[in-house]
Amino acid sequence: MSHDTHHAPVASKLDLAPERSDLGFIRPDRTTGWLDWLTTVDHKKIGVLYGAFAMLYFLIGGVEALTIRTQLIRPDNDFVTARMYNQLFTMHGTTMIFLGVMPLSAAFFNFLVPLQIGARDVAFPRLNAFSLWTFVFGAFVLNASWLFEFGHLAGWFNSFDWHKALVYTDFAPANGWFSYAPLSGTFGQADAATLQAPRFTGVGTDFWIIGIQVLGIASLAASFNFICTIINMRAKGMTMMRMPVFTWMTLVTSFLIILAFPAITVALIELMFDRQFGANFFNPSAGGQPVLWQHLFWIFGHPEVYILVLPAMGIVSEILPTFSGKALFGYPIVVFSGAVIGFLGFAVWSHHMFTTGLGPVPTAAFALLTMAIAVPTGVKIFNWIGTLWGGRIRFTPPMVLALGFIWMFMCGGFSGVMHSSAPADSQQQDSYFVIAHFHYVLLGGVLLGLMAGLYFWFPKIFGRMPNAPLAYIASGLVILGFNMAFGPMHYLGLAGMPRRTHTYHAGNGWETWNYVATIGAYILGAGVFLAFMNLIWTAFKGKKCASDPWGGRTLEWSLPSPVPEYNFAQSPIIARRDAFFEDKHGGRPIGYENDGGDAGVHMPSQSWMPLLAGAGFLFIGLGMPMMSMRIPHAGWLVITGLAVLFVGIWLWALEGPGGYMLKTPVAPVTSGQPSPVATTSAH
Amino acid sequence: MAKGGLQMTSFLQSYTRPNTTTMFSRFFSRAGLFAAPFLALLIAGCSKADYTVRKSTLDPKGPVAQIQYDVFMDTVWLVLVLFALVGGMMVYAVIRFRSRPGDDDKAPIIEEGHGNPLVEIGLITASIGALVFIAVPTLSAIWYTDDVPAESVPTSKLSAWYPRLEAGKEVYAKALEEQVLEIDVIGKQWWFRFEYPQLGLTNDAKHSVPNEMVIPRGKAVRINLRSEDVIHSFWIPKIAGKVDLMPGRKNHMWIQGNELGHYYGQCAEFCGDSHAYMMFRCEVVEPEDFAKWVQHQKSEAAPVAAETQAEKGKALFGTKTCAMCHNISGHYGAGAFAPDLTHVASRKSLAGAWLDNRNPKAQLAKEQLLKNTEQSVEVDRATLKANLIKWIGSSGVSTGADGKPTKDVKPGNRMHYYKMFNVVSLNETHQSFTADELDCLSEYLLTLK
Amino acid sequence: MSQAADAYVAPTSTGIDHKKLIMWLFLASDCMFFGTLISTHLLYRKLYPTGFTDAEGHQHFIQNLFNIELTSFSTFILLMSSFLMALAVSAMHKGEIKSFRRNVLGVIFFGLIFLGCQVFEFTHFYHQGLTIQNSVLGSTFYVLTGTHGTHVAIGVLWLVLLYFYSFSGKLGGHMGALDVEVAGLYWHFVDIVWIIIFTLVYLVEYLGPSGIWGSGLPTLAK
Repeated sequence: MSHDTHHAPVASKLDLAPERSDLGFIRPDRTTGWLDWLTTVDHKKIGVLYGAFAMLYFLIGGVEALTIRTQLIRPDNDFVTARMYNQLFTMHGTTMIFLGVMPLSAAFFNFLVPLQIGARDVAFPRLNAFSLWTFVFGAFVLNASWLFEFGHLAGWFNSFDWHKALVYTDFAPANGWFSYAPLSGTFGQADAATLQAPRFTGVGTDFWIIGIQVLGIASLAASFNFICTIINMRAKGMTMMRMPVFTWMTLVTSFLIILAFPAITVALIELMFDRQFGANFFNPSAGGQPVLWQHLFWIFGHPEVYILVLPAMGIVSEILPTFSGKALFGYPIVVFSGAVIGFLGFAVWSHHMFTTGLGPVPTAAFALLTMAIAVPTGVKIFNWIGTLWGGRIRFTPPMVLALGFIWMFMCGGFSGVMHSSAPADSQQQDSYFVIAHFHYVLLGGVLLGLMAGLYFWFPKIFGRMPNAPLAYIASGLVILGFNMAFGPMHYLGLAGMPRRTHTYHAGNGWETWNYVATIGAYILGAGVFLAFMNLIWTAFKGKKCASDPWGGRTLEWSLPSPVPEYNFAQSPIIARRDAFFEDKHGGRPIGYENDGGDAGVHMPSQSWMPLLAGAGFLFIGLGMPMMSMRIPHAGWLVITGLAVLFVGIWLWALEGPGGYMLKTPVAPVTSGQPSPVATTSAH
Repeated sequence: MAKGGLQMTSFLQSYTRPNTTTMFSRFFSRAGLFAAPFLALLIAGCSKADYTVRKSTLDPKGPVAQIQYDVFMDTVWLVLVLFALVGGMMVYAVIRFRSRPGDDDKAPIIEEGHGNPLVEIGLITASIGALVFIAVPTLSAIWYTDDVPAESVPTSKLSAWYPRLEAGKEVYAKALEEQVLEIDVIGKQWWFRFEYPQLGLTNDAKHSVPNEMVIPRGKAVRINLRSEDVIHSFWIPKIAGKVDLMPGRKNHMWIQGNELGHYYGQCAEFCGDSHAYMMFRCEVVEPEDFAKWVQHQKSEAAPVAAETQAEKGKALFGTKTCAMCHNISGHYGAGAFAPDLTHVASRKSLAGAWLDNRNPKAQLAKEQLLKNTEQSVEVDRATLKANLIKWIGSSGVSTGADGKPTKDVKPGNRMHYYKMFNVVSLNETHQSFTADELDCLSEYLLTLK
Repeated sequence: MSQAADAYVAPTSTGIDHKKLIMWLFLASDCMFFGTLISTHLLYRKLYPTGFTDAEGHQHFIQNLFNIELTSFSTFILLMSSFLMALAVSAMHKGEIKSFRRNVLGVIFFGLIFLGCQVFEFTHFYHQGLTIQNSVLGSTFYVLTGTHGTHVAIGVLWLVLLYFYSFSGKLGGHMGALDVEVAGLYWHFVDIVWIIIFTLVYLVEYLGPSGIWGSGLPTLAK
């Protein structure tokens, strides 16, 4: 019998004796290299993996976007076919939201939250790894649809019998990221033999359904974990109202996820039953109500918007005080407005449905609520300006991007106010005006915020400094290209150009601005590419920097860069907000608990099981659409997946939590190298 | 309050000289260089013509579009004021409070930020006040656009303008006197069918109107929105904002065109492969002309002269199974599924209003001359014939003159891809046409005025 | 043994164990999940109060389909299983492993009876003509109650695994009691959800002379 937790403290995990889990397997604790990355439970490494995958998918989504813009560069263009265009915008939206912004936010949650609250890891390290791998496999399933699509276009499947039986051959989803039923669903009567009803779209929709379902599981698991971590693992003295705003926004976002995702989960289950088993949830010929899909989708979909925005708001709320040299103006109000946005976010979903014929009373109610949600959003902007007011503003790449965030987000917010007026919205709905609006919010807002965060915390993550001139050039290109691409879309929308149309006629007066927008998109693409290259270069070759290069305020800056695996050699004791800032400037010092040192700190054991359990979703995710393609025996793939998932979770439960003790330096070191700003505090 | 004040004073004292050599200033002067041509282009690009393009929402030609435009402009003005205030405050703060040389020597500000309750509450109250400014017109416009003005506008009632008895024949029932004109809009992938049930123009009566609706000028018209497959959306930007055609729901809206002309509409909800090609037109005509148009729609197709290409085309229309779906009153009566072709040659557009049957150069010239996109030239016979040949002959399943599959005019359309609907018996009957057959067929269709 | 079982437990800010907290969070999420499913069912019941038409074209009303005695019985059984679950948790807290095993076996047994009733009910309804494909009612009813049944089945599986795990000697101490308590939380939740489903899906169909749907027990149109 093993004694998983009580071995002698070691200086490095490589010094551990080979140790068996309760199941008798050797734990992968001593692994290095890629095996270490596959089995890691360290929140920092998981965060880096999330970030790397998110950036990969940002680039894929970006290529999709540029293809879309290339098609629209001139009227009556035929660069891509109508169906390919529909697939491109579907996958662009889905990729950017679920595989780009959400995981990049998750990367920040993972890396920062434990550091900001003075914890050594998240509450459930293995669950955290499970979230990561589930996301990775879900993302793969979604994009596997492209492999099938290209295979089909290249004629690879022509010799297969099942291919001849295919009625619907759109392999990549072509139903929009919203997948409105019944376009994504069925019509008519279910066939008595196959129990399936005819459908409007092909197996791409099945890829989409199962892909989003799996990604939802990943997000839910991660959110449970983060809420648990934030509520339960704060350092001594770190009361809720002393938490950094980013951590607060993580908490609100996680609550939004756990309360909003069930709605889409149920909607997807219902749609899946419609498509696979001939159910009638959204089948209008059998009495199903397609409008129900819209309600369920937007009850999830609108909170989702805040799920995307709030983390970026949290990031900006960290960056502005740092570079203004001044505490966040109105901290309680900023936190409170974040929570109010979270609550109200559940009460405005029908403003996506103003044109569906809700009737005047619901339309009026949702219009008013939508206007109301502008208030807490405005409050945040006021408080950010209040933070700048009276500060000493230092301009660095993250600060310039954070200011860009406020500006662009403000523009997006203003066009949002225009939409809240339902009669005006009935002209703007599904036009390019809406595209302009939400790209100002999600690209000009969220992406700039996240890029600011990347520049800001990269020195902490890798201990290296991004190249500043290159960062300015990239930021300039992004801001210029972005405004050039999406500014004209306001006009295009008001000039009547509808969304999701793969081409348009000459003579409508849309030619010039579509051309400008496409050139802008290329500049934007170049800027984002340059920024990412700069970051990748930084991670490996950037100039090494001190632990606190920006003059940070929150606890993560008190740690060496890169952060050691145990985070805090001794757990901090917090007496106020921005404790580290006061500590290093001679105010009240941060206290430290008498833990760590030679007695060691407890480290969780690494594990293969999260990866194994997550891999189950790969089989399920590929199996379901293959069933839809009527590939013989594809059902067994699903059953295999369920078995892998079950076995993975079962072994995970039985292997025991494990863990080992790691020695830490007695005195907490606040910087890798001495720096003029970061001084070792006395305690 | 006091704390904020203290900080401000200390900064007023510390304000010594402007520093223009910060990295930020350099960055922005460079960004300005980039942005200048863009801004110049923006300003140069603004002209009246930009606001009156074919589908502009900024050029309302009816009361519904007008009130939607008015509410929109309310929000625009509000937002511009807020933008100037908040944006100006931010720009001021960024410039005024940028760091200056010597700041490093000063003691850091380590007070916790508490905000300023008075400022916060004041700003929240001001925001709410600003929103009330747009909430009131919004609410009134919601009800205005929803309530069909049957009672409030007596001039729109059928009895007020439409001749009930025409040449001794009842055109509509007396019970409808108090009602406004109703049009049923039926959305299908990817075209619109218009029916005027009060006037007997319905699909059941073999008199439906595909893709080109006609409404009387200055009369409120109730639009009943129905879909037979997926969700579509009915949008004529210059006359009214959109309302969806939801399968399983009975949506309605009302529209009114106050100026004569040819208006451009389109489906505004993504509805599948050829969503971009799902358009329609709306002609606003004088009430008298409207009555004449209705009579014309009810007429049957004229007989085809013997021994002509058209006669061969008429036969082909039957043998090539066109008549299974398309109705041509007087010639073929079985079709109920596809657009009614009885008056196809009188329509200004084809294939879901995607192909324009007018001479494009003449049309553009007229628009530019009159500075009005609603003015339309008449149908051009040569363009129409070319369109017919292109539309009927060009699908992914037929071959062109070069022996290669021709390009889809409308990918996934039910005429060429009925396989999508699992109509098994039709699976093997994809039609391909020789050039001669296409010629005959189009000559036949050209006779259907 | 107890040393090994009492694995490393870090103190928490709130004093609530991580596992218990995350289970509460999961249940909050699951509330929204079932809330959505139940809403779907109720919306469609309100919209189409007349039941369904079977393959032969006969119109059926849901009240005539339900066997309320059987469903009441299975509801009672599920309630009693919750009671046994509470006893099992309490036994575990006192370290009475044998009492825990006895009670948990009871929970498993009652859970299986409930599932058996549901299988019977589904089969019965299917033979009466109600299928997922032939009506919206069939779709919402089977998917809602089926999802709940899946929850019960997962709970039974979990308890079976816990039961066998208890023989390994590793289930004990604070962490062991916590593991059982968390399983108990799940079980009670699934039970409460069933009470809501039983009320909103079954019982309200019988309310009042005219019924909550405004149609009451209609006479069969011939």
